[in-house]
Amino acid sequence: MDSDNRAEADDGFTIVVEGLERIYPGGLRAVDGVDLAVSAGEIYGFLGPNGAGKSTTVRILTTLLRPTGGHARIAGYDVVKQASQVRRSIGVALQEAALDPLMTGRELLQLQGALHGIRRAEAKQRAEELLERVDLVAAADRLLNTYSGGMRRRLDLAMALVHRPSVLFLDEPTTGLDPVSRSSLWTELRKLNDEGTTIFLTTQYLEEAEQLADRVGIIDHGKLVAEGTPQELGRLVGEPGLYVKLIDESQSDSARELLSVHGAVSDRTAGGLTIRTALGARAIAPIVRTLDEAQIEVDAVEVEEPTLDDVFLAVTGHRAEEVDGEETP
Amino acid sequence: MSSFALERDLATQGRVIRALAERALRVQLRRAQFLLPSFLLPLLLLAVVASGTSAAQQLPGFPATGSYVGFVVSGTIMQGTLLAGLMAGIAIAGDIEGGFFDRLLSAPIHRASIVLGRVLGTALIGVVQAILFLAVALLMGADFKGGVVGVLLTIMLAALSASAAAGLGATIALRTGSLSLMQNLFPFVFVLLFTAPAFFPRALLNPVLETISVVNPLSYVVEGMRGALFDSAALGSVWGGFAAGIGSVILTCSLAVWAMRSRVRS
Repeated sequence: MDSDNRAEADDGFTIVVEGLERIYPGGLRAVDGVDLAVSAGEIYGFLGPNGAGKSTTVRILTTLLRPTGGHARIAGYDVVKQASQVRRSIGVALQEAALDPLMTGRELLQLQGALHGIRRAEAKQRAEELLERVDLVAAADRLLNTYSGGMRRRLDLAMALVHRPSVLFLDEPTTGLDPVSRSSLWTELRKLNDEGTTIFLTTQYLEEAEQLADRVGIIDHGKLVAEGTPQELGRLVGEPGLYVKLIDESQSDSARELLSVHGAVSDRTAGGLTIRTALGARAIAPIVRTLDEAQIEVDAVEVEEPTLDDVFLAVTGHRAEEVDGEETP
Repeated sequence: MSSFALERDLATQGRVIRALAERALRVQLRRAQFLLPSFLLPLLLLAVVASGTSAAQQLPGFPATGSYVGFVVSGTIMQGTLLAGLMAGIAIAGDIEGGFFDRLLSAPIHRASIVLGRVLGTALIGVVQAILFLAVALLMGADFKGGVVGVLLTIMLAALSASAAAGLGATIALRTGSLSLMQNLFPFVFVLLFTAPAFFPRALLNPVLETISVVNPLSYVVEGMRGALFDSAALGSVWGGFAAGIGSVILTCSLAVWAMRSRVRS
């Protein structure tokens, strides 16, 4: 059965995870019954703080770690029983771009080609194509210890693409990158997805998941606590917010009292208030009028779309950055 | 698996082993901290031993090999290959700690190919070491009666010694995954070396060392090199050296593959 037929056997899903568990010796339950399914051609964002279970899940799905319970199939192949076929179907870029600093970019790409059974001449040609694609031609013969973080990430991505995988696993691909490098990597990932590659992306950056992912799964303490499109998840937060910034911060108590008729009011840092109201942007005019009548001057009013950070708070009861700890013992 | 599929798989794994061996050789030769112990240190010791203890060849029981440097160069080759094997273990531990090992494990290749690629790369380093050390010994006045054949046999034994040492280094690295532990194993190289007749004939070792040297397979490899270089069965059996060398390679590489399997199963 070829990869397409196998995917059909999984109802068109390229990644199918059922009741996945990983309990480390000592009892740490890093992944605790995760179920998810990713369609062919989808970008799935796997979001969670450090220690939530993201990397352990990716290590299981990329055959680097055995699950202690549950099942997972990638492109129709079981990650335990058919690990070799899974490895042929996937490209992997793990955390922190583990690259040998004493090799050049070109050598690493050619080595990766050989590891996937590509003949030497073809591996050389493929390396050239990929160096061009990730804009590293000029640096191709430099040792990796002279590359910047962004260049290493781009090379890491290129290495994951050497054998033209149908599924790409990226574990925190932009952690530690500056905004320009991050944006350039996002562009490349969108391009890859447009070409049909299914992407499973872990991230602790909410913005990254919002920017890239068709659907997002939120993992916390090893459990998948929410899943959906960024818009669907946004609705979990409840009513949209309006942020009102006052010119005179000493009037915020009076303003809070007056605005409570429009919705639930909460304080914000930077001298402003947030009003949650079902009316959303339509509440701006009445709010400004109420404050104007009380001679409270308004500096700015902004509509606050719910972010994944808000979603995370809503579904877990804590902010993403509040959880910390080692994911693996 | 059909014979065609088997042939194709073997060809693929052959390409993988060659690529990993090339990487091992290239990267090790670029690493300054590797060149020092594997090439310079043995040469320094050769110079010191050859000049400082050359009077030993006047002792009764010391075999007639012309120059003393000709006798001890086999020990120098042994020292270099053992250190190259240790460096192979250090490189594997570095790959594990740095995450590069995961890249290898996520590729569709046999686990044994990862070990064999590193072992083959180290064997090639052993060949380079043997050629260099023998050339230096010749420049220092050694005269090898075994001629070209003796030199070629010695180079082959050096490759076996390096492979066995790489297998041992890989086993420890894969079992522990600790770079710092590997770096602290340097003294054990010298224990292995001095419990073999690397720089003195077995008859001149003290009784304890002589007893240990009987069970140390390196004894037979280093004596095999001498037997080949001087075309003298009295100095050592070449075939005994090959038997000990091949046996050590099979043993240590099997242990390394087993350690690899244990690591990926966890």
